[in-house]
Amino acid sequence: MTRASAGGTALAAEPILGLRNVSLHFDDGRTKALDGVDFAVDEGEFVAIAGPSGSGKSSLLNLIGALDVPSAGEIFFRGAAYSGNADLAAFRGRHIGFVFQSFHLIPTLTALENVMLPALGRSWSAAAQRRRAESLLADMGLRDRLHSSPTTLSGGERQRVAIARALINEPSLILADEPTGSLDSANAEQVLEFLVGLRAEKGLTVVMVTHDEGISARADRVIRMRDGRIERAGQPA
Amino acid sequence: MNLVSFALGNLRRRPARTALTLSAIALGIAAVVALTSIAWGFEASWQKANDARGTDLIVTRMASQNAMPSPFAAAPVREQLARYPHVQEVAGLLSEMLSVGEDNPPIFVFGWAYGSYLWEHLKLLDGRWPADRDEPAVLLGTLAAELLHKGVGDRIELEGRSFEVVGTFQSTALVENGAVLMTLDQAQAVTDKPGKVNVLNLKLDGQATEADARFVKEQVRKALPGYAAITSGELVSRNAVVRIAKAMSHVTILIAGLVGALIVFNTMLMSINERTREIGVLQALGWRRTTIMQLVICESLVLALAGGLVGIAVGVLIASGLEQAELMRGKIAAIYSVPFFLSVLGLSVVLGVGGGLYPAHRAARLSPAQALRHE
Repeated sequence: MTRASAGGTALAAEPILGLRNVSLHFDDGRTKALDGVDFAVDEGEFVAIAGPSGSGKSSLLNLIGALDVPSAGEIFFRGAAYSGNADLAAFRGRHIGFVFQSFHLIPTLTALENVMLPALGRSWSAAAQRRRAESLLADMGLRDRLHSSPTTLSGGERQRVAIARALINEPSLILADEPTGSLDSANAEQVLEFLVGLRAEKGLTVVMVTHDEGISARADRVIRMRDGRIERAGQPA
Repeated sequence: MNLVSFALGNLRRRPARTALTLSAIALGIAAVVALTSIAWGFEASWQKANDARGTDLIVTRMASQNAMPSPFAAAPVREQLARYPHVQEVAGLLSEMLSVGEDNPPIFVFGWAYGSYLWEHLKLLDGRWPADRDEPAVLLGTLAAELLHKGVGDRIELEGRSFEVVGTFQSTALVENGAVLMTLDQAQAVTDKPGKVNVLNLKLDGQATEADARFVKEQVRKALPGYAAITSGELVSRNAVVRIAKAMSHVTILIAGLVGALIVFNTMLMSINERTREIGVLQALGWRRTTIMQLVICESLVLALAGGLVGIAVGVLIASGLEQAELMRGKIAAIYSVPFFLSVLGLSVVLGVGGGLYPAHRAARLSPAQALRHE
């Protein structure tokens, strides 16, 4: 595994995430979305994954997020391989928070209910879920939008709801797939501030897929992908 | 928020499709409720009429399966029956469905042996009983009087003969309240069946036990070939019309169940296909496959149960409408019970779960990454 330094952030000895020779093939191996990817991410690191369309960024994020299983290689979370874990849903629910480009909020639920959604079916009491969701939305500056439908929220507000949703289960790893891709520059900056702030305030690790060189520049480390392989990894230019 | 409220929200998202699915389920359930309650009501109406008269055993032709058994010559059989131990009384009954005037629906006309115990359970509301077995007089049940718009002192025409209405009565049996009653001799004359009856009603004395009743049945079987002594329940369950009605209700339950399950299946499958990406999001948020299955099953159950409840209400309305229809009035009272309604809701649950199971399984088996890529 290659590990680049994490610009200014104190790193724990054990990486939170490790990929060892990970490949993802489709069509009986004829299409190689990822081919021999090998890297590690430390606790509290902000890593940007950049690269042209079709380079394998989203496939890589799906594998890290346990949404897909690698065709070959292994993925480690705090030293334990999880790619063959039978209960990947429980793993995602416990350790990972997703933020998507197009928010993926449920239109029939309020902002508050959307935030509570990942906690549904967990052992927390409904009151505890609600209190935590309200607190997260307040942190996102949405205290007065708790009961609003996502359809009435601006793009920036929706993405902040999505970030609150990603945090409800207290994950240690935030995976964001082009989180500012659908936002204007002002809202994109605000959302980015929230995500970057998560590191500082909560010590969370953030792995973000982005096309935006401005965002990549603010990461601790940038992994540049091309044709399913890591082309370059290191501190932003 | 819980799984049920989330499921309700998902159903509200497509109100037209939800309403159409719910309506289709409701119609199927309504057909089940209406047909079954009428079929049971038909059976119960006849049994209640027999029971109300205090009859212990009914002697009829063994092969007859009609609603009212085929007529037979009463005298030789009656004499034989009267000799059996504990037989207190043997009373002949002849029944026919006849038109009373051109504008009225057909109505049951009962002829009962004059002076027999059959008359004792009736409550005379107005007028009097027939003066003798040969008097051309009739009594009308309360509902028959209402349907025919006749009362004491009026006359009615039956098969070209004129009868005076000498009284009105009330019975605990709907079938009798909707009937015209006359003496057996008059009924035999007006239907041109002299000396014949449909059944002979046996009343056993107060000391008779069930073993004595079984003995009489056995004696009839041995001594009167072609005849059978049966209880009113057995008579009704042999009735071909009752059996056809019940068979139709069973077929309706089967068809409604299958169609309902298919409708739920189709609706949920469409819904799952439309929400593939959303299911991927739920998986990404940590939802287990079992939770996703529970959500889909919950949606199909809500649909089916709501359809079941609406269907019960519509079915009761249809059955009430049938009861009040001119041709049916006074002949059938639909029967409902809490266990029946619970069974219908149980059927709704079965078709909800049955129809939702495969779509739920399919939703749960989706690959999260593929689901998120779904357009």
